[in-house]
Amino acid sequence: MTTAISLQNVVKTFGPTRALDGLDLEVATGEVHGYLGPNGAGKSVTIRALLGLLRPDSGTISLLGDDPWRDAVDLHRRVAYVPGDVNLWRNLSGGEIIDYFARLRGDVNTKKRDDLVERFDLDPRKKSGTYSKGNRQKVALVTALASDAELLILDEPTSGLDPLMETIFQDCIGEVAEEGRTVMLSSHILAEVERLCDRVTIIRKGRAVQSGTLDDLRASTRTSITVSTERPIERLTSLEGVHSARTDDSGHVHFDVDNHQLNAALSYVTGFGVRSLVSQPPTLEELFLRQYGDDVTEDEPEESV
Amino acid sequence: MSPTTTAKHAQVSASRAGSSQSHPLAALGDLLRFMIRRDRVRAPVWVLAVVGIFTAGVGSVVGLYSTPSQLQNYGEISSADEAIKAMAGPGYGLENPTQGAVVMNEMGLYTLIAISLMCLFLVVRHTRTEEDSDRAELVRSAPVGRYATLTAATLWVSGLNLLTAIGVTAGLLAFGLDTTGSLAFGAAAFGIGMVFVGIGGVAAQVATSGRSATAVGGATLGIFFLLRAVGDVGPEWVRWVSPLGWAQGIRPYAQERWWVLLLLATASALLIIGALRLQSRRDLGAGFLRQRQGPAVGSPRLSSPLAMAARLQRGAIIGWCAAIGIAAFFFGLIANLADNLLENEAISDLLVQSGQASPTDLFLATMVLMLALLASCFTVSSVLRLRTDELGGHAESTLAGPVSRARWTGSHLLVSTIGSVVLLLLGGLMLGVGYAVQIGDASEVLPLVGAAIAMLPPLLVLSGVGFALFGMHARLAPLAWVGVAFSVVVGLLAETLDLPQWLRNASPFEHVAAMPAESFAPLALVILLAIAAALIAIGAVAVNRRDIG
Repeated sequence: MTTAISLQNVVKTFGPTRALDGLDLEVATGEVHGYLGPNGAGKSVTIRALLGLLRPDSGTISLLGDDPWRDAVDLHRRVAYVPGDVNLWRNLSGGEIIDYFARLRGDVNTKKRDDLVERFDLDPRKKSGTYSKGNRQKVALVTALASDAELLILDEPTSGLDPLMETIFQDCIGEVAEEGRTVMLSSHILAEVERLCDRVTIIRKGRAVQSGTLDDLRASTRTSITVSTERPIERLTSLEGVHSARTDDSGHVHFDVDNHQLNAALSYVTGFGVRSLVSQPPTLEELFLRQYGDDVTEDEPEESV
Repeated sequence: MSPTTTAKHAQVSASRAGSSQSHPLAALGDLLRFMIRRDRVRAPVWVLAVVGIFTAGVGSVVGLYSTPSQLQNYGEISSADEAIKAMAGPGYGLENPTQGAVVMNEMGLYTLIAISLMCLFLVVRHTRTEEDSDRAELVRSAPVGRYATLTAATLWVSGLNLLTAIGVTAGLLAFGLDTTGSLAFGAAAFGIGMVFVGIGGVAAQVATSGRSATAVGGATLGIFFLLRAVGDVGPEWVRWVSPLGWAQGIRPYAQERWWVLLLLATASALLIIGALRLQSRRDLGAGFLRQRQGPAVGSPRLSSPLAMAARLQRGAIIGWCAAIGIAAFFFGLIANLADNLLENEAISDLLVQSGQASPTDLFLATMVLMLALLASCFTVSSVLRLRTDELGGHAESTLAGPVSRARWTGSHLLVSTIGSVVLLLLGGLMLGVGYAVQIGDASEVLPLVGAAIAMLPPLLVLSGVGFALFGMHARLAPLAWVGVAFSVVVGLLAETLDLPQWLRNASPFEHVAAMPAESFAPLALVILLAIAAALIAIGAVAVNRRDIG
């Protein structure tokens, strides 16, 4: 497996702010990699450093095997980028801008372009100053998707798209992935990440706090259990790895359990005569919120049952 | 919180909420404070620069013309030189000159123009330019009245204008000039400023961007200048079509005509009311000049950063060509009026004795300088497109493609340079053509084109300053305007201000031979080119080392 993107211990400061604080990140060739993190975590800074627009203070960055600061121009022939905030020249039409960027990298693939313009339902004749945020994003997406770049770097590309366009975007990324191209997708739309991405990295305060497949990530966290038993479960909270236990009005007991303690917890519960049991793997959203929450500690105060 | 304060608080917020829903001026005070906050550097710089340079000029004139014979001498030369009238004004009171009349002739018109520009730029900055960003939308989504932004901008800039007018008046009074005349000039300055507050407001409604609003306002000022110049050297009634002519027509220090203030007051009131009425009829972000649709596909020629830079600056270059071409043609037409000076025997003898060039050649050389100073405004604003490109996020998209920083910056620099060459060529050509039409002899056309093109090295030095600053940081780049402003002051007012030579030497234009009055001096041009090259190299190295965006 070759590596498309690799950052090792990258630090980037802006005055007193440490935007990247020893960031490590690996994206394998051919995968769709989700890049998640709260606002201000350093996602866009990472991407700008990857594009050679920012120079890191220390650490090494490799993009498609080369240094993006030094070899920016050659590398960019092989990379397509959709910025988080798409700014276009106000007095040029969308079509002019799409073709301009295509010609910068070589030639216009008119068939692919026309096809994408139609799929995204974009009016290329309008001056870009009159486009909405979503339409500006469509211009950037059409530009990126119409290219033959082997790596696509997308910074929250769908934040202004309607659900219909969002679906079309997901189809397009699916096609890109089938062609064996690599995608780095920064996003807040977790359903999108869950559907598209092979692996995910979560960044917080300039550091990668989690990285792996969704299954890996799930295994390292908790499963939610809802159970009803013949006899009340005693001393559930004293078990290692059990959190947030409570009993609802109908007598069902709800609790979360660390996945590595799942077996022990379930064995204990069956001792009280299980009548029904529902287990839910953590959604990405829960994974995410756990990493986001500033005061996540291992020893949350728990209600007794 | 005590019950009474709570009640008061509730009352205040209720009245606020009530007024914000219905009142077209809601949040006026907040917007005003916000504008003052945004201009905390810019406003003092404008006011202090205008008042400071003017006051220095007054001091210098008072020192230079202290005896009746000195004044008499000045009056004779100035009233004889018709060409200078086109550039300075009708010269009221010069038949029997006082120090005040001399100050007006030397500094009056330029000060009125500077104040007009200040008012125009600042009004557009707070209105139309804001709408180009998403900020205006955010502001208007708050409980802010429909007219509040334009009214706040009008009030704020009017206040600055008043402050400037008071400062200018104080400068005159400080050197003991006649009180009535000083007040009259202060009133004229305030009046013309208010007219341009109004013009800025109207331009902001008509144009589709801040940049084009400034262009519309600037073109209006240019037309006013030409009309009053025609009036001063030709049929006098034309002067009365131009608000600049009115402001001069108040005749400070020369039997003041106070009723002319009514013209300025009426015009500015009508313009300000007109701007407010236009504002109520248009959508936020839209102008009365419609945006057309563009092509669905890009032209194959639009395939490089250079082509893009040319495409982006095309409009500006065409606009500047029109402005400089018209101005140059007019200057050419009036150039030989300068030779009227020779009809005055004393002056003619003096000129022959001192071995000086003919008054016409001196005038033409001054006009070449004027055109070059105008062109330098294009040169610098064009280099500053790099900054717009970067801060607007376009640079990020461009550089994310296979485009090096050198290619991106080089494209803009090249377009800026080619544009400057075109402007200088056209300026020299039209100056020559205007002169040829007047004297019926085209032999001066080519020398004037040459004289104009010799002004390229100083333009490149200024663009180098802009680029070097940009290389260090995008936000530093606008400081290049200091270089332009300084060169304008040295170019137009060095004698009036009696500036020391070392200070004059800091202007790159100072080193170019004043052709056709002086002969070609290539060495200085080579040195200027070397300085420009060094500055551009500094910028290129610096921009490669820093973060973009």
